[in-house]
Amino acid sequence: MDFPFLSAIMLAPGAGVLVILFLPPESNRAVRWVSLISAGISLALTLYIFIAYDAAAGGLQFVERSLWVKSLGIYYFLAVDGISLPLVLLTSIVFFTGVWTMWDLKDRGKEFFALMLLMVLGVYGVFMALDLFFLFVFYDVSLFPMYPLIAIWGSTRKEYGALKLTLYLLAGSALVLPGILYVYFQSGVFSFDLFEIARAGLPPAVQSFGFLLFLFGFGVLAGLWPFHTWSPVGHVAAPTAVSMIHAGVLMKLGAYGVLRVGMTLCPQGLMEWSPLMATLATVGIVYGAFVGLAQTDLKYVIGYSSVSHMGLVSLGLATGTLGGVDGAVFQMFAHGVMTALFFSTVGHIYGQTHTKLIPELGGMAKVMPRASFFFILAALAGIGVPCLASFWAELLVFINGFQVYPLLGIAAVLGLVVSALFMLRVVQRTFYGEKNQKFAATPDMSLVMVLPRAMLAGTILLFGLLPRLMLDTIQTGVAPLVELFK
Amino acid sequence: MSPIAADTTTTWLTLSAMVLPFAAFLIIFFLSRPRVAISLAVSLICSAIPLLVAWWLLLHNHGMRAPMVFQVLWMTGGQVAVTFGFLLDPLSLVMLVIVTSISFLVQVYSLGYMAGDPGMAKYYSFLSLFAWSMIGLVVASNLMQLYIFWELVGLSSYLLIGFWHHKFSASQAGKKAFVMTRLGDLGFFLGIIVLLLNLGDLSIIGLNSQAAAKLSPALLTTSAVLVFCGVVGKSAQFPLLTWLPDAMEGPTPVSALLHSATMVAAGVYLVSRLYPMYSASPDALAVILAIGTITMLLASTMAMVARDIKQVWAYSTVSQLGFMLMGLGAGSYFAGVFHLTTHAAFKALLFLCSGVFIHHFATNDFFAMSKMGARSLRIPMVCITIAGAALAGIFPLAGFFSKETIMGALAELDQGVWLWAGLLGAFLTAYYSFRLLFVMWLPKESHAPQAEASADAKDQAHAAHDEHGHSSGGYWAMASALIVLACFTIALGLFDKKLIDFLHWGSPPSLPHHTWLLVTAVAAVLIGVALAWLEFGRKASAQQGFLSRLPALETLFAQRWYLDALYRRLTDYVVYGVFSRLFTMNDRRVVDGAIDGVCRGTVGTGWLLSFLQSGLLQYNLFIMVLIIAMIGLYFLLL
Amino acid sequence: MDSLNTYLFIALLLFCLGLFGLLQRRSLIGMLISVELMLNAANINFLAFNRFLSPDPATGQIMALFVMGIAAAEAAIALSLILALFRRMRSIDIEKARELKG
Repeated sequence: MDFPFLSAIMLAPGAGVLVILFLPPESNRAVRWVSLISAGISLALTLYIFIAYDAAAGGLQFVERSLWVKSLGIYYFLAVDGISLPLVLLTSIVFFTGVWTMWDLKDRGKEFFALMLLMVLGVYGVFMALDLFFLFVFYDVSLFPMYPLIAIWGSTRKEYGALKLTLYLLAGSALVLPGILYVYFQSGVFSFDLFEIARAGLPPAVQSFGFLLFLFGFGVLAGLWPFHTWSPVGHVAAPTAVSMIHAGVLMKLGAYGVLRVGMTLCPQGLMEWSPLMATLATVGIVYGAFVGLAQTDLKYVIGYSSVSHMGLVSLGLATGTLGGVDGAVFQMFAHGVMTALFFSTVGHIYGQTHTKLIPELGGMAKVMPRASFFFILAALAGIGVPCLASFWAELLVFINGFQVYPLLGIAAVLGLVVSALFMLRVVQRTFYGEKNQKFAATPDMSLVMVLPRAMLAGTILLFGLLPRLMLDTIQTGVAPLVELFK
Repeated sequence: MSPIAADTTTTWLTLSAMVLPFAAFLIIFFLSRPRVAISLAVSLICSAIPLLVAWWLLLHNHGMRAPMVFQVLWMTGGQVAVTFGFLLDPLSLVMLVIVTSISFLVQVYSLGYMAGDPGMAKYYSFLSLFAWSMIGLVVASNLMQLYIFWELVGLSSYLLIGFWHHKFSASQAGKKAFVMTRLGDLGFFLGIIVLLLNLGDLSIIGLNSQAAAKLSPALLTTSAVLVFCGVVGKSAQFPLLTWLPDAMEGPTPVSALLHSATMVAAGVYLVSRLYPMYSASPDALAVILAIGTITMLLASTMAMVARDIKQVWAYSTVSQLGFMLMGLGAGSYFAGVFHLTTHAAFKALLFLCSGVFIHHFATNDFFAMSKMGARSLRIPMVCITIAGAALAGIFPLAGFFSKETIMGALAELDQGVWLWAGLLGAFLTAYYSFRLLFVMWLPKESHAPQAEASADAKDQAHAAHDEHGHSSGGYWAMASALIVLACFTIALGLFDKKLIDFLHWGSPPSLPHHTWLLVTAVAAVLIGVALAWLEFGRKASAQQGFLSRLPALETLFAQRWYLDALYRRLTDYVVYGVFSRLFTMNDRRVVDGAIDGVCRGTVGTGWLLSFLQSGLLQYNLFIMVLIIAMIGLYFLLL
Repeated sequence: MDSLNTYLFIALLLFCLGLFGLLQRRSLIGMLISVELMLNAANINFLAFNRFLSPDPATGQIMALFVMGIAAAEAAIALSLILALFRRMRSIDIEKARELKG
């Protein structure tokens, strides 16, 4: 492939950062437009490669590989396959709509957008890089900007949330780095190239221990129970676009890491530790739903629902079956879009009413019908209503989960009912009921601001009605991987 | 029999019938909501076309000998393959006709009922959404496709019950309906998974032909019972029956369409669909029979004391669904399906008539209505009488024939208790229906107890608006629907031979007919009518049931046998109180506490270690000397 | 009696006494004196090795002279440090010099 699409996608935000840094501090408009344009470039290129990806051929496409450091065996290796392509698409969509959602940011916009672009660059890098060194570097690049983004522009308990989130995730990466080095030294090929190590194979003991390191190291970021408590606190504290990216994309980094690094390099480790992983995942599913029932802050509710849904992803991965991993990857995509829609809408509500507490809201459907529509759609997606993307994902995960672990499957399915209960309860208490007198005069979303949410909603509907558009691609990536788990 | 591929005309017609209502929903909801007239037109057209298609298909294929199938692979992942398509056989054709007819009639009726409501276009979009989901469910060729549309039907129900969402009770009822049916759907989903993992094929034809042969009896019964859990939820059987009476918060046409004729019948339809599989498992049939019986009796008792007209019919629906399941559970496919058909007609009619009264009098309490002069509205009164009589099972209305068929099936069983239960149910049904009818026809001025303010507030505002500009057009929209349904109620009984012939592919089993059974059943009904007359109809009656002399029983029935209280307790104490609170505290104290504890520990260790930095030179020197001594020792011993 | 080990032992003893004094004494002058003791102990070591092991008698003596010179220089600097410290703290108690406490 001649034109380096993947590098372009990744460096568009990088170029954006550079341009923004040279803009004068008061030029908010220019900053926003630069960010939107760079996000738009990334999105356009991503859509192109998504459509141009040859699902029949499968495998790695749009490969860019060159030697970086010879003595250590580091390669600049970017490529996408059926697993990472949906996630790159997810990142682009959430990035673009996230920038648009923050259009009204007045306070220190230059620093905010610069940091956000940097973070997204890191995220793109993780999804595209197939060299362990670069993967880790990009992983940390995406983590660091979270701290100032939350601590400066956040809301509820922002310093505590920012500190907790950053330290917790760094602790996770402190497990990942030894894992990477361990695998690097034990493989015997002295290359950080993921597929070379996979081809060389690792001894069973190494696989077992390595998988544990990767499972817990990446699992922290994936919201694996019980290492999930950074997530609700962080969600609540973060500003809107950061929450969107954080819950929508960042948590998928963790699951992707488990899949790409842990499961590809240490398949025997997966088979050995899969019961543990599945148990923790199922606990997360049910636990997240029950705790979500008790929350009074809208963002906490969504945060715990994220914990529950990421539990589904982990369960799908733990099954090691074709359908299960397919469902897990699809759920990563579907949940990412859905949760971005959630946070985007809540951001609007918070921006207008300055409260996220459910007891203070109520009857908002009459006050802001457009915002209500998007929230309710996202809630229905969260419940797993057919025609919305997460239904298919949940279907696959539950069926395969039950097949491999019947008891856990039954417990997980129980989560369906509890999640319906708490989602509908939130919807009812926030939006239904008598028209809210306190906020009766707050404006609804303008048509311009409806568009990003409509993009997200449209994505959920599109892949809900036509799942094969995504699932066929995912399957080409997952099928060769699952062969390792037989 | 092996299926044949559907021919092109049939395929196109059926697919258009399946897709048009969805198109209507999208158009109305996203595009034409501000223009009510356009929305109405779109909705009615996209409802009329499936109606015509359904009737054409039925009449065209009335002699069909093999089912017609069409399907397209919609999604595949691992061993899961979901297809989208249709399966046309006698059962689905009959049900399709029922669904599309009542859907269209309700839409026409709503022209009058919902006129002036600010959300009218949104209402029609939801009705179209429902029609789409229901049609998709009825013609589904694959159990997974059926499940998908089953869920969508539940969604439409949620949206329509909570339509007037500014009323807290309405949104509460919608939520309750959704969550309770979801509980049932859990079992359904697990049943589907079990069937999928063991059979690999979820097509309806495949299940019916192979399940009995390939699955062990235990597995067959388990999956059949699990699937039946979904039926318990959707058809509001015991113990998940309390959502249906609450669902009366929705507009009355919704109650007529969803919660009497079609959506709740989907459960019975599912059992009929998979009847060959069910009949291969006597244990599953026994479960169905038992639950159907319990539900029928329980709900009839609740209907006996209700004062709200919609509640009476809601309990009646639950009870009649139980009765249908009794027929199916007793081994007669035709009995259940026939009663489903007749019930759809007269129950929808009952609700629609009630709607006219509610609309006119701004109250749901039929005692109050009758005192306000309900019987002056001729058409609704005549129709409600026809329908009520059909419900009770009066010859020659449709309900009589279908009831007789079920009684006949019950009589064939070994244990007589089921037949006695059926007769008791018939007695109770006659009693409560005629109680209502007599009260409506013959209002008493003095002795009647005070009308409760059980009015539906929105219906009140509705009627108030209506008083100002009650267009005769609106009235005739409603009346025409009533007349059509009344005709069906009268005529359907005559089609039983044709129907059983059709349903059984031209070779129907002979139905047992016992004269003693006929006499006993008719006697039960007449006793019920007579008792109702004694208590409510006679000039000198106090219009108080015999139950008012047994207040404990009356309260028990009025409180729905305390099921609601039980569920409320369960939700509040177990779900919220135990699990939710426990997990939240665990999250905050244990998990978070551990993490915060690690942080505090780290800080504490740092604080401890900071003592090394005492600033005292001699401490540093001491440590230096110590370390040098240790290194020296190390090299010495090496 | 007149063997290398004796002298080494004496030197060790002296060194340990010096070390102990360095670590234990509160007075800066006392610490200085202890350091001198340690230096002299090293001196004795040199002289002992010079007498018993060295082929060239001059080596050890030269080392001893060097050590003495360095000790003198070091004492001068140490005393001026002590003077400077005294001017700040008004005391020669080392426990008063704590500003680098962590």
